[in-house]
Amino acid sequence: MEENKEMTYTQAVTELEQLVQKMQDPQCSIDNLTDYTKRSKELLDICRKKLTAADEQLKQILATIQQQA
Amino acid sequence: MQQPSIFSPKPQGMTLSEFNARIEQVLNNDARLRSQWVIAETSDLRLNRSGHCYTELIEKDDQGTTIAKVGAAIWASNYGSLYHKFLKATGQVLTTGMKVLVNVTATFHRLYGIKVIINDIDPSYTMGDMERQRQEIINRLKEAGVFEMNKQLPWPDVPQRVAIVSAAGAAGYGDFMNQLGHNPYGLQFYACLFPAVMQGAQTVPTVLAALDRINRHIDLFDCVVIIRGGGATSELNSFDNYDLANEVAQFPIPVIVGIGHERDVTVLDYVAAMSVKTPTAAAEWLIQRGTNALAHLDELQDAVVNAVRDTVAEAREHLAYFTSLIPAVARGIIDTNRIKLDNYTRNIPFAANNLIANQQTRLERALERMADAVKTAMHREQQRLQALDEKATLLSPVNTLQRGYALVRKDGKCATAADQLHPGDQVTMQFADGAANATVN
Repeated sequence: MEENKEMTYTQAVTELEQLVQKMQDPQCSIDNLTDYTKRSKELLDICRKKLTAADEQLKQILATIQQQA
Repeated sequence: MQQPSIFSPKPQGMTLSEFNARIEQVLNNDARLRSQWVIAETSDLRLNRSGHCYTELIEKDDQGTTIAKVGAAIWASNYGSLYHKFLKATGQVLTTGMKVLVNVTATFHRLYGIKVIINDIDPSYTMGDMERQRQEIINRLKEAGVFEMNKQLPWPDVPQRVAIVSAAGAAGYGDFMNQLGHNPYGLQFYACLFPAVMQGAQTVPTVLAALDRINRHIDLFDCVVIIRGGGATSELNSFDNYDLANEVAQFPIPVIVGIGHERDVTVLDYVAAMSVKTPTAAAEWLIQRGTNALAHLDELQDAVVNAVRDTVAEAREHLAYFTSLIPAVARGIIDTNRIKLDNYTRNIPFAANNLIANQQTRLERALERMADAVKTAMHREQQRLQALDEKATLLSPVNTLQRGYALVRKDGKCATAADQLHPGDQVTMQFADGAANATVN
């Protein structure tokens, strides 16, 4: 999903939390379950990636700034 | 040229060394000048090659003007122990610009003049003064309404982009980077060093300049970390500075301070969003935020799995329940309807009888009401007739005639005016009991 690339960790984790809440609601329809599960997996991946995968572009920018200092 | 007179008197006076010897004698023998505790400020403190420490002791008035001054020395034989005693208690090396309580003895040397020898120093006085200065800065920040500002900033979930203010070669910086870069959880941090001098007189201007540079790239960072290694030669006093504390307090992103001081705190520790003891602790704190976030993600994942499992199980249970329910529900519906039908069958005759009885009652009541109405109408008519009769009696001329009046008729018609009669007219006068004929004359 293209829009996911622009998501911040906070946005992703907030959406995930809301989604989990919906899924935990006794009124949650089994019809929505597949979509919800799929989306929560995507969001979990985004969040984990934000925390553990290196953002090379950001590293490059910071390296440039540090050199200027 | 005038010749010196052979009679000119021999110059009267002693040599300077003789005079100085007298000063020396007076000064060195006065007990009031020995082992006295004196409050003063150090100025221009320096060590010479032989290990003696020289300083000026000064006193300033409220306006900051120096109003007393004397040269002082700590002999090398005493300096080592005083240095350590002072450092241990205050966390600071004895340096220029400190308020001190020193035990001194005045000495006079005929060549070098007066000098006071520092025998001992009471570090608790200096600590009290430092604390007072800190408190002053804190009060000023509170009055300006900025003291809590940095503490009140919201933290991002995981502060990964870290602007570091430190000295490039410092052990503390190395420890921090090592800790952060080699965390065992695979957490990514993005560190960028903004170098500053972390001790001595250059601390404040260089740290302020570094913060200024960070501010220009503020969108790239989640937080600032100000760190320096510990070490014996701490000169933390430099951090107790109003301008620096003011800048940190108002910095737009959270600041973590880890300036390596176990014994005491600086003003920065009070105003920064987060204060830790060492650079390593600063790194650990950041890593902890990351591991908390990872743990939270694990929880959320479990919650998703459980929610799916529960929802499916619940749906299955519902389905089974309804399946088991259908025969019973159907039987129930049939039974209910059968009972209803029975009731109807049983109730029809009763209902019919009731209906007939009701109608009969209604009919009887209507008849009664009709009879009443007729009776009332008859009575009303009788009363009217009687009234009319009375009225007719009242208006009849008979009564009038009985009171002595008479009707005069001419040709059978009542004469109602005098000019209707002429002499010779034959008229009939009608009285109550009969009539009499008369002629008009």
